[in-house]
Amino acid sequence: MIPEFGNFAIIIALAFALLQFAVPVFSSSRGLSAGSRKPYGVALDASLKHAGMTDFLVFGQFIFLSIAMLSLIICFITNDMTVIYVRDHSHHLLPFIYRVSASWGGHEGSLLLWCLIIAFWSIAFTLFSNKNLPHSLYLKILMILGVLNAGFITFLLLTSNPFQRDFPVDLVIGNDLTPLLQDPGLLFHPPSLYLGYVGFAVVFAFAIAALLEGKFDKNWVVALRPWIIIPWAYLGCGIVLGSWWAYRELGWGGWWFWDPVENASLLPWLSATALIHSVIVSEKRDVFKGWTLLLAIITFSLSLIGTFLVRSGVLVSVHAFANDPARGIFLLAFLSVVIGGAFLLYGLRIHRFYQTPTFELFSRETALLINSVIMLIVMATIILGTIYPIILDSLQIGKISVGEPYFNVVFLPIMLPLLLLMGLAPHMQWKQQPFHALFKKVRVNFLISFMIGLFIPYLLGFSFKIFAYIGISIGIWIILSTLQYAYKFRASLTYKHWAMIIAHLGVAIFVLGVTINKSYSVERQIKMSVGETTTLAGLPFTLSDLHRKNAQNYESLVADFSVQNKFIISTEQRIYKSHDQTLNRPGIHYNLFRDLYIALGNSFDDGSWSVRIYYKPCVRWIWFGGFLLVIGGMLTLFARREKHESI
Amino acid sequence: MKVFKSIRFIIPLIIFGILIVFLWRGLFLKPNLVPSPLIGKSAPSFQLHQLMEPTLKTSQKDLIGHITLLNVWATWCVACKVEHGFLLKLSNHRDLMLYGLNYKDDATKAKEWLNTLGNPYQMVAFDPTGEVAIDWGVYGTPETFILDKKGIIRHKVIGPLSMEVWEREIQPIIRKLQMEDA
Repeated sequence: MIPEFGNFAIIIALAFALLQFAVPVFSSSRGLSAGSRKPYGVALDASLKHAGMTDFLVFGQFIFLSIAMLSLIICFITNDMTVIYVRDHSHHLLPFIYRVSASWGGHEGSLLLWCLIIAFWSIAFTLFSNKNLPHSLYLKILMILGVLNAGFITFLLLTSNPFQRDFPVDLVIGNDLTPLLQDPGLLFHPPSLYLGYVGFAVVFAFAIAALLEGKFDKNWVVALRPWIIIPWAYLGCGIVLGSWWAYRELGWGGWWFWDPVENASLLPWLSATALIHSVIVSEKRDVFKGWTLLLAIITFSLSLIGTFLVRSGVLVSVHAFANDPARGIFLLAFLSVVIGGAFLLYGLRIHRFYQTPTFELFSRETALLINSVIMLIVMATIILGTIYPIILDSLQIGKISVGEPYFNVVFLPIMLPLLLLMGLAPHMQWKQQPFHALFKKVRVNFLISFMIGLFIPYLLGFSFKIFAYIGISIGIWIILSTLQYAYKFRASLTYKHWAMIIAHLGVAIFVLGVTINKSYSVERQIKMSVGETTTLAGLPFTLSDLHRKNAQNYESLVADFSVQNKFIISTEQRIYKSHDQTLNRPGIHYNLFRDLYIALGNSFDDGSWSVRIYYKPCVRWIWFGGFLLVIGGMLTLFARREKHESI
Repeated sequence: MKVFKSIRFIIPLIIFGILIVFLWRGLFLKPNLVPSPLIGKSAPSFQLHQLMEPTLKTSQKDLIGHITLLNVWATWCVACKVEHGFLLKLSNHRDLMLYGLNYKDDATKAKEWLNTLGNPYQMVAFDPTGEVAIDWGVYGTPETFILDKKGIIRHKVIGPLSMEVWEREIQPIIRKLQMEDA
């Protein structure tokens, strides 16, 4: 009964989404016949009545999709094995909390979540959008969101219905959720990622609406800004959570694997970062309008392309969801129409936004432009690396797998100038920046940071390495230069400036974390039995105890390591009953400056175990930096009411 | 210049169009189907160190005398991690030898990989430069060659092995090879 109920709710939501698109069109055609002609776009000022109607439709769509999601969760909680999706992802032994998260752990459920989140952003838009936004723009944005979600709900119903049922004769116990995904991280990682991914739909709708109108003004930019930054922050949060999950679950001590699915989430994030910087210029100086529109379209396009890459099965990945060619074809057709249409519209209309540049070559505008160009280049190299296997294969040149080596080689050199620029740009003036004045402002900092960079490794007890030296110095350069900026304008700092300061410091801490972790991590692989001791990074590790443990849906072997007799690190090897699959849960002891990370390997006949021990300096800084970026982004939300800005 | 000015706004659309063409073709690619010119020929000769016992060497002669699966893998290859679980199951198979060819990799990382995830291979040849893999016509990782008792390459699978691939592609060939011997 419940599955049918959920299914029905999805169908009603589809009707609401379609009406959300159709009602304003209908009202506008009447508006046209009444004589209020507008050359481009649809004359939507018809009446506020239709706005009320549209708001109602958005609301209804959200309610019915929530009902559907809730029904699915209930199916999981009650373990309704007649629902195919539940049978494939649940198990009668699966703990309650993972049964809830399993409802978005597979393709069908995560797609339902996707649709629900579009509805969520649409309703958020109707409730909180800037009141200065012209009414016609407002309705157009909702129309575009309506037609987008109608597309996704259709996709859900036609190819990936989570409520599909099947009544088997035998009692079924279910296929269970993959053990790797049974982690608290999974509770928040996908929803957070999706809130980001999908949120860019609003940005996209803003851009298309502006192109349809043939113009945009400052109000448009001011209204747009929160709809970029909130999804950007959610996406960043999702990426950080995902990286942290990989670190704890995969047992390799790594935090980023350049896996196609990770790349798919990084791409829109990079493009959105570029967009945020471009929007700042558009808002402040009324330039870069075309560039801002282009980036807005690209950002959402990357969300869609990322979804396609993950869902269609064109790439092999650890995240691979179930593959079905029909899904790939539908998604590709859908994204061709949506994105292709958007770019076509862009090509036809953008000349209306053309302006003569009103700034000198050497200015903050240029610096921010370079920033977004570099971001786009980085984005392009990652997308190239990700789909390179497909390109070669379809040209029948060969088949290859692009791995970490490629990305490290291309990624780092491009990021270097960007990070250097990050220290410079805040000190540059709008319109025109005399070179000598800038040089005077930053030279001391620059020298100091490259001097401190020399000493830091010695202070921490590490040897000198050229890569580490450059990385650490640049990290300090960004910190010093950001603090100098904060100090100089300390009297007049607004939330927006604080946002920038915190976000940039986050980047600096991230850079320091990555550099130090990459350069100075040590690891040892050793065979140990109970009572034996080994030393790594000056710390003695003793395998003090081995014992068995039973949990609800797995049994495990626990190894306790005592370090310096001060604390104990427990690491587990789990065997999941329903999968007959082993999973290593590394044991981690952390503090601000280092992680000690232990994972079990396989056992030997004499009762000893192969053990890997890692000493990972500053690895937490990577995620801490990431969260600072998120916090920085969130701070800009308070900037709404601030009127006067001087800097 | 004038031409450029009028078409430049269409550039994003063009790039996107090219991307779509590739993605579209990607949908219909069969990643597991690549004809290898080596099928039906003897294994190319090679001399490599063994990964786990670096003092010992191995050559194509070690592939003779039994049905062999030669699996090309690397630690930087995510798909290799995906198939690893299946390889472990396969290592108990009585009728064949599972050999590994570690491709363009770091010896320490590769050993660590095997020690942690388990070692399904009877032996692993270590090919850090990828020279031998070129002779074998390896496009990337993972790839798996099936060789008969005489050391002749009979089939090549591209992409990760799984129960499905095993039942569809490999098992029939192995049955056939066993029939030939009988």
